[in-house]
Amino acid sequence: MEPRIGVFICHCGSNIGGTVDVAEVARFAEGLEGVVVASHNKFTCSDQGQTIIKQDIKNLSLNRVIVASCSPTMHEPTFRRVCQDAGLNPYLFEMVNIREHVSWVTVDKQKATEKAKALVAAAVRRVVYHQPLPKREVEINPNTLIVGGGIAGIQAALNIADAGYKVYLVERNSSIGGHMAQLDKTFPTLDCSACILTPKMSLVGANPNIELLTYSEVEEVGGYIGNFKVKVKKKARYIDVDKCTGCGECVNKCPVYAPSQFNMGLAQRRAIYRPFPQAVPNAFTIEKRGRPPCRAACPAGVNAQGYIALISQGKYKEALGVLRETMPFAGVCGRVCTHPCEKECERGKVDQPVAIRALKRFMADYEIKTGRECNQPVEINKKDRVAVIGSGPAGIACAYDLIRQGYAVTVFEAAPQAGGMLRYGIPEYRLPGDVIDNEINYVKELGVEIKTSSPVKDLNKLLKDDYKAVFVAAGAWVSQQMGIAGEDSEGVTNAVDFLKQANSGEGIKLGNKVAVIGGGNAAIDAARVARRLGAGEVSIIYRRSRDEMPAEAEEIKQAEEEGVKINILAAPVEVLTQNGCLSAIKCIKMELGEADESGRRRPLPLEGSEYDIDADNMIIAIGQKVDKDALPDGLDYSDWGTLSVDSVSKQTNMKNVFAGGDVVRGASDVISAVADGKQAAISIDRYLSGVDLKEGRPKAFKKAEDVPKDGVEKQARAEMPLLGSEKRHSFDEVDLGLDEEAALREANRCLNCGVCSECMQCAENCEPGAINHDMQDEIVELDVGSIILATGFKSFDPSRIYRYGYGRMDNVITGLELERLVNSAGPTDGHITLKDGTSPKSVGIIHCVGSRDKKYHEYCSRVCCMYSMKLAHLVREHLPGTEVHEFYTDIRSFGKGFEEFYNRVLEEGVNFVRGLPGEVTDITENPEEEGKLIVQVEDTLAGCRQRLPMDMVVLSCALEPQPDAGDVARMFNISRSEDGFFLESHPKLAPLSTATDGVFIAGCCQSPKDIPDTVAQASGAAAEVLSLISRGMVEVEAATASIDERACSGCQLCLQLCPYLAISFDEEKQVCRVNEALCKGCGTCVAGCFSDAISLSHYTNEQLMAQLEGML
Amino acid sequence: MKQYCYYPGCSSEATAKGLGLSIEAIAGPLEIELVEPKGWVCCGAVHYGSLDSTEAIVVAAYSLALAEATGLDMVTPCTGCYVTFTRAAKKLKEDAVLMQQVNRGLAAAGLEYKGSVRVRMLTEVLINDIAPQSIASKMKRSLNGLKVAPYYGCQLVRPNFGFDDPEAPQKLDNLINSLGAEAVPFPMKNRCCGSSLVIPEEKIALDFVYKVLKSAADNNAQCIVTPCPLCQVNLDAYQGKANSKFKTKYKLPVLFVSQLIGLALGLDKKALGLHTNIVSPKSVLKHIATKKQGVAGGA
Repeated sequence: MEPRIGVFICHCGSNIGGTVDVAEVARFAEGLEGVVVASHNKFTCSDQGQTIIKQDIKNLSLNRVIVASCSPTMHEPTFRRVCQDAGLNPYLFEMVNIREHVSWVTVDKQKATEKAKALVAAAVRRVVYHQPLPKREVEINPNTLIVGGGIAGIQAALNIADAGYKVYLVERNSSIGGHMAQLDKTFPTLDCSACILTPKMSLVGANPNIELLTYSEVEEVGGYIGNFKVKVKKKARYIDVDKCTGCGECVNKCPVYAPSQFNMGLAQRRAIYRPFPQAVPNAFTIEKRGRPPCRAACPAGVNAQGYIALISQGKYKEALGVLRETMPFAGVCGRVCTHPCEKECERGKVDQPVAIRALKRFMADYEIKTGRECNQPVEINKKDRVAVIGSGPAGIACAYDLIRQGYAVTVFEAAPQAGGMLRYGIPEYRLPGDVIDNEINYVKELGVEIKTSSPVKDLNKLLKDDYKAVFVAAGAWVSQQMGIAGEDSEGVTNAVDFLKQANSGEGIKLGNKVAVIGGGNAAIDAARVARRLGAGEVSIIYRRSRDEMPAEAEEIKQAEEEGVKINILAAPVEVLTQNGCLSAIKCIKMELGEADESGRRRPLPLEGSEYDIDADNMIIAIGQKVDKDALPDGLDYSDWGTLSVDSVSKQTNMKNVFAGGDVVRGASDVISAVADGKQAAISIDRYLSGVDLKEGRPKAFKKAEDVPKDGVEKQARAEMPLLGSEKRHSFDEVDLGLDEEAALREANRCLNCGVCSECMQCAENCEPGAINHDMQDEIVELDVGSIILATGFKSFDPSRIYRYGYGRMDNVITGLELERLVNSAGPTDGHITLKDGTSPKSVGIIHCVGSRDKKYHEYCSRVCCMYSMKLAHLVREHLPGTEVHEFYTDIRSFGKGFEEFYNRVLEEGVNFVRGLPGEVTDITENPEEEGKLIVQVEDTLAGCRQRLPMDMVVLSCALEPQPDAGDVARMFNISRSEDGFFLESHPKLAPLSTATDGVFIAGCCQSPKDIPDTVAQASGAAAEVLSLISRGMVEVEAATASIDERACSGCQLCLQLCPYLAISFDEEKQVCRVNEALCKGCGTCVAGCFSDAISLSHYTNEQLMAQLEGML
Repeated sequence: MKQYCYYPGCSSEATAKGLGLSIEAIAGPLEIELVEPKGWVCCGAVHYGSLDSTEAIVVAAYSLALAEATGLDMVTPCTGCYVTFTRAAKKLKEDAVLMQQVNRGLAAAGLEYKGSVRVRMLTEVLINDIAPQSIASKMKRSLNGLKVAPYYGCQLVRPNFGFDDPEAPQKLDNLINSLGAEAVPFPMKNRCCGSSLVIPEEKIALDFVYKVLKSAADNNAQCIVTPCPLCQVNLDAYQGKANSKFKTKYKLPVLFVSQLIGLALGLDKKALGLHTNIVSPKSVLKHIATKKQGVAGGA
């Protein structure tokens, strides 16, 4: 068909006509090939302009129409409709933008006209190739998603729900209400904010059409107008909202305090909290930041924060209960644990780590002091019996976990008393026997049978005796040899045997001079025991330097206090004897070389530096190894001579035999042994229940990070009281333990890194059983037709403006903070107080903090003048006679009743100073200024500089976009204006819609505004949504992509690129295919296709090439 | 050895001799080579700019052109010179017309400025190029326990050319601390000392001097340390007058940063020009002498 093109050029008043010679462009167009008519009009979009187009289509039989005017986002739909009304397919129309692209951006009239001509020529060439496209309509899903539960979200939700449609209201905090819930009174009417807001909140909670998703955030948005698919993450709040009655019993039990965000950090709340009493839903939330570093560092996972939190509240019994959830050794580990927890303690980054071990011991001591009730035996409900070989920490920990799961457990111990190395390897002055007895008895009382003097050699016999699984934790009881001449002489012994004899009370004869070889804890123990047994000169010989000694620093210090000498950088090379008896040790001096694989510097002998040390006894303490002869047969060993096990499951080469502790690790520490015992218990239970041993192990967890430390005052760590060194002749305990006062103080130093300490007190005391500490985040998928974003604002952080002193000086506060102080439900019950608790006699309010300032935000935040004046009024109402100064740049009281309120406040006697203060300082210049905050300001009306001393300074902070506004905009595919707020599609005529059809905005996420404007916008957005719903169908872009199956290589790249999931892969034909119903015509796949197989109707190559040719 | 084009400025040869002397003294031990361009002239600071801004820039450009010929960064110890040169260099870079105008003037002296000089403040070079740790590693004497009020003055951080936060500067504090001395909290650290008013409005200037001295003394400083020759002479020479006006008895030595570093490097007090200070620095020297000598910091 021969093209018959009509070109209609618009003056847009003087918008285009002022810069482009429109008549000339029309003349030019007339001469172009295919153009039947070219005319120009003052306003082509007007009724008259539209009529001309329609008449020309009919009278001149036009089959193509071009309008050169404004942006297609403005009027393309208008002119397409005109064509359709005149019987022409709307896709035979083309729009040329000569306003935004030409007249508004060009000064030179001639150049502008030339450009307009080129663009028109391009369109004339292009439009020839246009094809009529069928109209496409989609159905509108009547459900609506509203993001943000502030007053805007609440209002919109109620409007839509009241009209009978379903609304999903997503709020990231645990309650709806937003910033308005934090306000005291609202300007200019001084209505109580809560009184007008909370009834609306409860309506939301009660409305059956509104599904509330609090403590939730939108994760992903797909689809298009009428058919959005949204994924919402419901963050674990650890409370079942449906079961929680809001009774608050849990709050009283919670031992952890955290700053209340609702009260702007001015008050504390518990880790389990409800932001304010009128919260909707009226349910609690538990705040968890992750696993505290102390707990994460503990090999056995002991919940240190849990028991410390309870100690801080004086709940010692409950605290001990928390520890016993994991293991029975409070008194043992409270004395001898190597406390890896303390190394990770975040408090150490402020001053010193919390004395976790000492607190653990305190709980145990407190129980012994106050008496412990006998444990009730556990009901044995599992049919299988388990044998444990060895009653050290690994064996007992394993037995403890198994019996609590209902397994009958028998522990076989070779020695006459239970406890293993705890009993025979650690001296009494460090770990008294009755402490071990108490904790092993605790386990025995549960029903664990311990058979002492019962070595086990034959595993098969045990298994025949109907034990279904065995845990081998027999320890490492043989000392390493030095491998030097004379090592087996009389007078030479080793630390293992020496300490065992001492702990068993066997008489030991020592000479006056004792040398201990080694630098570990066993060496220190041996040396200190030797001193206690009467040796006059005890020395430790260690081959590296003091820094490399593996023994604990505290132990070394105590040893030295007791007179033990430490010889570093020395190594024995020969034992010198007289008559077969030790007489002296030949040593060689060492120096430190390069670091070895342990990271410690390698000791190297200095040749020719040999010297002799006189000694009557020598105790070798250079490590221990496993005694293979004492272990059952049939087990595999590692190259190190220890039992070989799977590192996760602790399973040996025999499937029903597990092993852990020193027998696997070589000489190690108590807590690692406990950890092994616990892991073996899990494996044994899984083995006996026929479950995979390793699935999901080790369990992953999130560690608490970024623990806030602002405002934490330095405080010394509790010192462990010690027995005076002059009294340390006997085996009396040296560490005396913290007293209650010291323990309480120490426990309160804990920073509660994980926030919730998982002490489980809330769960134990919740009658409806609403608490579930294992709750996981959950993803909910929603299908909605429309979306309203009402995500609100963030208050500007004024600490960015150094000169105003926020965060540096007490009594410089923000407007929102004063809002909480003045609120009768706030942290001070409505008393306006300074940090010292007194009332201010003078208050200065500084306007425009962060607003109207190019360094921060250029815009005016619109509400600060009014809320500042409202606060001034409230201060004077609460504290009559208080001097209030308002420091302003301009007063913007533009709303209904605002100017009247300004006049009222003026008349009430508030002082208004026009001038932006240069600084707020506490540097005084005269005695009257002492102790005050001085506001230094140029009064631009009086024309003078002023220094005004104030008791309190309030900063009226800007409203700024939420910190994640950029991410949200990307997720919903909408734009932001330069100031960071969401961009409306037209600032005047479409203030609620966005670049994405079906996504609307309302409230402060669009720009700062007051409550009345916010509510009006919210209702407006609701009306937009309801209009869509009632239409039921919406016309969408007819341009869609199609794939030429012959050219498609089947690479499926387009499948990944398509944002609308409109492309699928045909497995049989190995080609991709576009679902036209889902395609939005965005063109992403066209650009991405390597094979050039995809084309987009209305944007074909022919059309685009013709357009380019026309332009050139 | 790091090389710099060194522009001493007129102060360091006249009212602030201690500055010039101490810089020359510390340069060697810190392995800095200072190349002084022959024939440099006054930077054109202070009041010239308000009389004829173009001529003032020509004056600055004269020395900039000399510096450019060395091909090195131009380093000045004077905050006044630093601000003048930085401003001139910036203006010339941004304004091609001005550059032409200025070069017409320079042509009379046979010079040309192309606009490539990087102007730097000596204190900034010490902190960024030499680094406090490296200075500390060369220390011969400990300044342990010496309480120092770090005085930045107004020009070093304003206008903000990126050296430090104009409202809460910290870099001088860090340098002082790295020498083992203790930078005391000093709220007046970046306030004007009043030096430009000392001739026309002495009364007002003394007010400023007093406030700075009081703030330092109230925070138990034993001395004030500043990089600025204008501040130094003002706080030092007018301390007596401020004392009589405000009936105080402050005797706070006002040292240059380079003098303090020189003391830590174990240099002779005469070589550091300490004899040119008006308020005697004896108390500082005594403090250093009585401390047990050991090397702190990064050694």
